[in-house]
Formats: sequence, structure tokens, C-alpha cells
Amino acid sequence: MGTHHYDPTQHPEVRQGTILRYVLATVISAAAMVGAYYVAMSKPPLVSLIEELAGTLLVALLAQAALYFGLDVSRAQIWKSVSLVLTLPLFIISIGITVWAFSSLYGRTMPDPAIMSSMAM
Amino acid sequence: MHSEKPTLTAKTALWAYEGEEHDFISTRTFGFWLYLLSDALIFAGLFASYAVMDNPMSAFGHPLANGLLSASRGLIQTFIVLGSVFSVSVGSLGLKTGNKGLVLGGLAAGGLLGALFIWFGVSDLQVMAAAGNGPLESGYLACLYALLITHALHMGFGLLWIVAMFVHVARWGLDAMNTARLLCLRMFWQFQASVWVVIYVYVYLFGGAH
Amino acid sequence: MQVAVEGPWSPLLGRLTLDAIPYNNPIIVPTFIVAALAGLVAVGAVLYYKKLGYIWREWLCSVDHKKIGVMYIILGLVMLFRGYVDGLMMRTQQAIAIGPDSPGFLGAKHGYLPPFHFDQIYSAHGTIMLIFAATPLLTGLGNIIVPLQIGARDMAFPYLNATSLWLTFAGAALVMISLFVGEFSSATWVGLMPYSEMASNPGVGVDYWMWAIQISSIGTTFNSINIIATIVKMRAPGMTWFKLPVFSWVQLTTAIIGLTAFPILTVALTLLGLDRYLGTHFFTAGMGGNFMLYINLFWIWGHPEVYFLVLPAFGVLSEVVPAFSRKALFGYPTMVAASFSIAGIGWMVWAHHFFTMGMGPDQIGFFSAATMIVGIPTGVKAFNWLFTMYRGRISYETPMLWAMISIVLLLIGGLTGMMLSASVIDYSVHDSVFVVAHFHCMVLVIGAAAFAAVIFWWPKVFGFKLNETLGKWFFWTFIAGSVLVFVPMFMAGLAGETRRLDYVFNTALAPYMLWEEAGVLVYLASVGFFVLMLIVSLWQRVPAGESPWGTERGLEWLTRTPVPFYNFAVTPHVNALDETSWRREAGAALRPTRYVPIHLPHGSGLPFILGMDVFAWGFALTWRIDWLIILTTIAMIAIVFIRSFDRNEGFIIPAEEVEAYEANINTASIFAEQPKRGHGLVGEAH
Repeated sequence: MGTHHYDPTQHPEVRQGTILRYVLATVISAAAMVGAYYVAMSKPPLVSLIEELAGTLLVALLAQAALYFGLDVSRAQIWKSVSLVLTLPLFIISIGITVWAFSSLYGRTMPDPAIMSSMAM
Repeated sequence: MHSEKPTLTAKTALWAYEGEEHDFISTRTFGFWLYLLSDALIFAGLFASYAVMDNPMSAFGHPLANGLLSASRGLIQTFIVLGSVFSVSVGSLGLKTGNKGLVLGGLAAGGLLGALFIWFGVSDLQVMAAAGNGPLESGYLACLYALLITHALHMGFGLLWIVAMFVHVARWGLDAMNTARLLCLRMFWQFQASVWVVIYVYVYLFGGAH
Repeated sequence: MQVAVEGPWSPLLGRLTLDAIPYNNPIIVPTFIVAALAGLVAVGAVLYYKKLGYIWREWLCSVDHKKIGVMYIILGLVMLFRGYVDGLMMRTQQAIAIGPDSPGFLGAKHGYLPPFHFDQIYSAHGTIMLIFAATPLLTGLGNIIVPLQIGARDMAFPYLNATSLWLTFAGAALVMISLFVGEFSSATWVGLMPYSEMASNPGVGVDYWMWAIQISSIGTTFNSINIIATIVKMRAPGMTWFKLPVFSWVQLTTAIIGLTAFPILTVALTLLGLDRYLGTHFFTAGMGGNFMLYINLFWIWGHPEVYFLVLPAFGVLSEVVPAFSRKALFGYPTMVAASFSIAGIGWMVWAHHFFTMGMGPDQIGFFSAATMIVGIPTGVKAFNWLFTMYRGRISYETPMLWAMISIVLLLIGGLTGMMLSASVIDYSVHDSVFVVAHFHCMVLVIGAAAFAAVIFWWPKVFGFKLNETLGKWFFWTFIAGSVLVFVPMFMAGLAGETRRLDYVFNTALAPYMLWEEAGVLVYLASVGFFVLMLIVSLWQRVPAGESPWGTERGLEWLTRTPVPFYNFAVTPHVNALDETSWRREAGAALRPTRYVPIHLPHGSGLPFILGMDVFAWGFALTWRIDWLIILTTIAMIAIVFIRSFDRNEGFIIPAEEVEAYEANINTASIFAEQPKRGHGLVGEAH
């Protein structure tokens, strides 16, 4: 409601942004993606592929969370950070447990051995 | 904790006569942030579907990601979307000084790069469909198209929003309401970059390399 | 690239033809006549008493959280009745159609409902009871109570709040119109796959069901955003987190579930929609589709949805039990912790709805164990309520009776739930009516708590209490009906009766079916007592006074009764968890000594118009009327765009006017007609 009781240029979320933050966020994200690209091109074994891709992705997302979105524990941003931390497990649960629940489904419910062997990957 | 005897001193405040000044901009940006979290769960649902379908059986004789997508073209798209987000973010620095030109310039540059990104993605999908791998051909392809098009639709909606903000800023300048909206738009646009890097790493790189 | 549909299609009306209206159905035609007459009487009364302007201005355009809550609850009660009638019809069918010699009426071979019609009825019953009865009832309660309990003027986003309401109405209207135009889904409330696909279900029923819950669940997501933002940002000064009442804590956990689980439903239904409209193969039986993926996505939402409904019920018990035990709630911090753990663990148990899918022992073991763990925080809550009653001075007013039966039902439903969580038991009773009886006990927990809440907070909103004598008749007939229906159902389930039978082949089940029929008729008596209670109470309107129950504890009772449209004349400074009882014990003032101007938002007709537009959009999609889909989609974008130009900042009520309202509080009731307020902020308050 009451919209003109204060000066919007002084709002903490306005003051927080700086050119340095945005340059850093963009450069780190781009560098992480270039790194991920070369990891994928070198076709390492599956386990190290997953580890290295997850690592680069984490670097890019953390840089964006901290520098683009400006998430921290300050009074202006604390509730965004808290709600994100509370929600993060749900991404892992909904994707991870779904994949896990379906991982052996075809093998168990589809009797064709040719398909079963191709499922092994 | 309920056992303490209620005590009333002269200093006990009972009424907030001065009123509580709620921070209008922060309430709006927080509400919008909550929307973004729920939007992120829409993508989580699509990622879960994609992961379940990412196998030869669901591909139904059609190729998986490694036969459909080009990691290097995806990298170009990544640079475009990061450039777009960078423009909008730097433009938003104009809010600090009330610099309308910087804000609108950032939005314009970001919007153009966003449109380029959408064009890039859509033309890739058209090539795929023309090669016989359209969205109706298999369960896996349907999931792939759903994921990419949902992201592109978000970008498209953001473009509409950018156009609307031009009208609003021209009409009312950088007042509190427009500042709140521009902060939300900036978050929305940054969110598209975050979703895209996950899509790129998971679909283009992981899917392409295994 | 739209899929071809069976039957006729025209550019003007899509699939809609005169045959879609079941004018020859002996059950639907009388229903339609009664509904049309009731509608005509209602519209006629509004016009005769010249209340059209009042209803438009004060209700349809309202952004007042209390009015929105009242409208949610009215919607919930109407849909509860519709859902009950569906239940009555199902029970009557099963009481007649037992064994090969059972008679057939109205064109059915056995019983009076052909299988396809019966299938639609149980699909509608489930959809309505969960999505359009329980959800609006509890959302409405949260809407009314949360801002009062935290000392706020309104929700964080009043306009969005009205939008949520009208989206829910649009969804409910789609379900209701499916009764008279076309058909409803026959694929159960969950949408069984691949039976819900176009190949096996080519009619419009699944489309009605899909768009109705899609639209209303988007409304629920918006409402969750609103509740979280309101509780985080709008609490009165002095209200630290551990002075937040338990009901509001629970609404917060509920809203977290609403915010995070409903998007997954949106995904599941959208992908189903793509299958049905564009011909993709997400969930089809061939072409690489995976129909268990739909069931998985649906229950990722569906199980948290169960907690989305039951947690507010727990919150109600945590308010009602202390009030009528005249004691503070036992174990407040553990109550808060238990709510969060129920919400958190509730997000990890969804696959227990399809243990029989074939996912493997590790996964089944995980989900089985996680399901059992939910029992621990739930048990903590149950013991906390019992310890609250222990050595309290309990009085048995109707809200307390409902609260106590709610705890009993929780015990029965919870223990049978523990049985079902063991996958070995689940395999043998899967899809039997034992499961049906179990989850009905849990839903009755919600129903009982909702009745407790409506009766408990009724005087806060209306200024008079509901008739206690008739309330007790309502209570005891309802409970007798529940026992008669669900005890035989548990037994029939263990005896092997499967769910969703339009024909019961085993004549040995006949006694159970007849007991259940008797129970559902006793329910009919309880519906009668409920309506009588409303009529008599509205007729008598005995003023409830400032302290209707004499035992109120929370901050919401610090407002005047009935609650004025501006909530608190002066925002309170909070000193204790149970602020009202703290002030009484400390001898502190319950009323301010002077008044200050109050700033409130203006109403707007756009949310209502948006709701109507979305209803037309859902109808057009269901019947595949292309031009109307395009038109209503453009209208939606246009409404949002127009709204963005609404710079109206609300209005100010001057201090003298507040004083006048407070002196004669009935003039400030949310039912009293208010003068038209000018636009723009005349006379800046701050």
C-alpha cells in the first residue's frame, strides 16, 4: 500500500547492486560453463563426469545466488535466503527420489531381456 | 514459558499508535521471490520427468540428447542468456541514481539478447523436428521439448514484461511502485539464467556425453 | 497440430452440441430444475431487495481478507453438500446392486446407476471433497484468522487474495457445470493412467476435471504466497516468532507445502493436457510414454496435499483445546517443531500410494519407513493436546466436542495408516475399501476440526453464536453416521471388497452395505440439523458480546466483536503468546485510549472479472472452442496489463470516524454497507 513514504533509491535491494558484482557473476558463470563444456567433450567415465559437471554447476549457481540475487543474511535479504534453504531439499527429493524409484522399474516390470540389457547402460 | 506471572509496568507498550510502517518494496520482492521458488519447482517436475524418460525405451527408436543437441551451440546460447541478464542487471544500477536512460537501456539490450536467445532455441527445435524428431514422436522427445519450450516461454513472458515496463517508466518514472516492479523483473530475468545453466549442464552436456 | 476428436466438432461451438445436455436423464433433470429454481430465487431476492449494488461493491469487488474468507467458506460448505450427495448416491447404489439377483432401475442392470454414471459420481466425490470442499474451508479459515492473529490490517497482497478466491470459484463452477453440460471424468479423482488418455477416455469428462483442478490449484499457490508473505512481513510490533500463535505457525507450514507441492501438480496436469490436446506421448501406453510417471508426479503433490489439509486442522485443535480447557497449550515449541517435521517428512512419503508399482525393495523400504516416521511428530501433537486437557477445567461446548472427536478420529485413522505403511499389509489391502475407510477417517479429522473452527470463530465474524442445542444434535448425528458408515467399511475392506464397485458381486457383503446405507442416512439427518442450526441462529441473532466463550486466549479476540472491517482500531503491541488472556490476567487495557487514522486498500472488480474469464477459458478448452480459447487468453493478459496501471493507493479513515465506528461496532461489521470512498489518498496519514 502506502507507496511514497520513502525514497526508493535508498532501498537496500537497490543499493546492493554494483557493477563489480554483476561482472563477477557473469564471468564466473560463463567460465564454469566453458569448463563444464570441456569436461563433457573429454568424455570421462560416468562417475567423474557426474562429479565434475555437478561441481561446475554448483560454482555457477552459487555465484548467481550470491552476486546476481544478492542472497545473504542481511535484514533485507534474510527471508529470501531462508526460504531458498528450506526449499532446496525439495528439489533434491522430487528429482532424486523419483529417479531412484524409477531406476529399476523397467528392469523389474518389463520381461524382455534385450531391453533389460540396454537399461544397464 | 507460560508460567511467568504477567507483569505490567509503566513501560509496557500496549498499542502501536504510530503505526507499523511495512516496507512496501521488500514485501513485494519477497512475494515475488516466493513465486520464483514455486516456479523453480515447476522446473523440478519437468527435470524429474526428463530424467525418468532419459532412456532408450522411452526414446522409442529415436535418438537421445547425444544424437539431437549440439553442446557448442548450447554454449553460444549460454553466453547470450548471460549477456542478457548482465545487461538487465547493470541497467538496474540506474535505480540508485534515478537514471531512467540506464534502466531502459539495460532492459532494451537485455530484451534484444533474450529475443535472440529464443530465436536460437526455436530454430534448433525446428531443425530437430524437420529431421523427424518432433515432440509427438516419443515420450523422451516430448519431455525434451516441454523442458526447452517452458524455459523459452518464460523468456517470452519476460519480454512482454519488459515492454510493459517501458510504458510504466515513461508514464510514472522510477517511483516506488516501478522500482519494486523493476527489482522483481531483474530477479525474474536472473532466474532464467539460473534455470538455463541447469538445463545446459544436465541436458546438453551430461545427456550429450554419456 | 491438435489431435482429432471423436464425434462432431464445429468452429463455432467446438465439441458442444445439443446432445451434450443430458435432458433425458431422470436424475440430472430434476437436479437441474431444483438448482435453476434456487438460483432464480436467489437472483430474484437480490433484485427485489435492491442489493445488487451492495453485493457487487461490498463482496464481489472486495479485497477484505475476512469477506474473502467468508466467501471461501460458503463455497466450501456448498461443495461439501454436493460431495455428500455424491456419497449418498454411491452408498445407495452399493446397497441395491448386490449379487446377480439384485434389481435394476432407471435403465441400469443392477441398482439405479449405469457403470459409467457411477464412475463419474465417485470421481466427482473425491475431486469435490478434497479440492473444492476441504481446501476452501481451510483456506477461508486461514484467510480470516491469520491477519487477526498477527495483528495485521489485511493480507500482504489483498488484490492477489481476491484473485485466488475467484480462481477457486472458477474451478468449482467448471465442476458444477459438468453436471448439466456434458459429463465429468470417470477416471477417479487422481486421474488413472493411461485410462485418462484420449485413446481410452475420448469424452470431455477428463478435460473438465483437469482444468477445474488446474485452475483452482493455481489459486491455492497464490494464496500460499500471500500467507507466507503476510506472516513473515506483516506481524504487529512485539510479535516475535515465538509469540506467533500455533494456528498461524501451522498456516505457515501449510503455505510452504502449498507453495512447493502444487507446482508439481501443475506439471502433471499440463503434461496430461499436452497428451490430450496435442497428441504427445508423456503418459500413453505406447510410443515411449510412461504412465507411472504421471502417478508419481501426481502423488508428489498428492501426499503433501494431505498434510496441506490436515495441518490446518491440527492448528484449529491447538486453538480450541486450550480455550475450552482454560489452560495454555502444552508444549508450544514442540507443537511448532512437530508441524515443520510433519510438513518436511510428508514430502518424502508419496510412493506409499503405489507400493505395488514394482519399484524394488530398497525404495519400498525407504518409503515405508518414512511413512512410519510421520507418526512420531503426529503423536507428539496428540499427546500435547491430551496434556493440555489434563487438569484443565474442561467445558463441553460444541467446538470442544468437535475437537475431541477429531483427536479420536486421528487415533483411528493414524493407527490404520500405520498398518498401511507396512508394505506387506498394503500389498494385500491395496485398492480395497479398507484404504477408503482409513483416509475417510483422516478426512473426517479435517471435517471435524473445520466444524470446530467455524463454530468457535463464528461469533468473531458475525457477532452472534450458533445455537448450541442444535449444534449438539448436529454433532451426535454426524458422529453416529460416521461410525455406521466407516466401521462396516473397515470390515468389508478386510473381507476383500475392492474400491469403486458399481456392482458388489459377493452377497456375503450385503449386511455391511446395508449398515453403511443406514449410516449415510443418519448423515442426512445431521445435514438437516446443520441447516436448522444456521437458520435458527440467524433468526435469533443473540448478541455474543465482546467475549463470546469467556475463555478466549489469542490476539484475534482483542478486536471488537463482530470484527470491524479495519480489524484493530489501533495496531496492538504484542507482549505475550496468548495476548488477550495475558492482558486480562495482567489487568492491561483491552481497548486503546485514543484513535489514529487507518489506511486501507480499495476494492477492485478485476479479480472477479479475471475469475469469470478463466472460467470461460476452462470451458472453451474443455469443449475445444478455438476462438474462445484465443479470446479469453488475450483477455487474461489484457486484465493483468490493465491492473498494472491501477495506481489507486487505497483510502484513509480519519480518527474521528474510527471512534464513531468503535462506539457503535455493528456499523463497522463486514456485513454493514459502507459509504463509497473516494479514490486516491486524501489527507496523507503519516
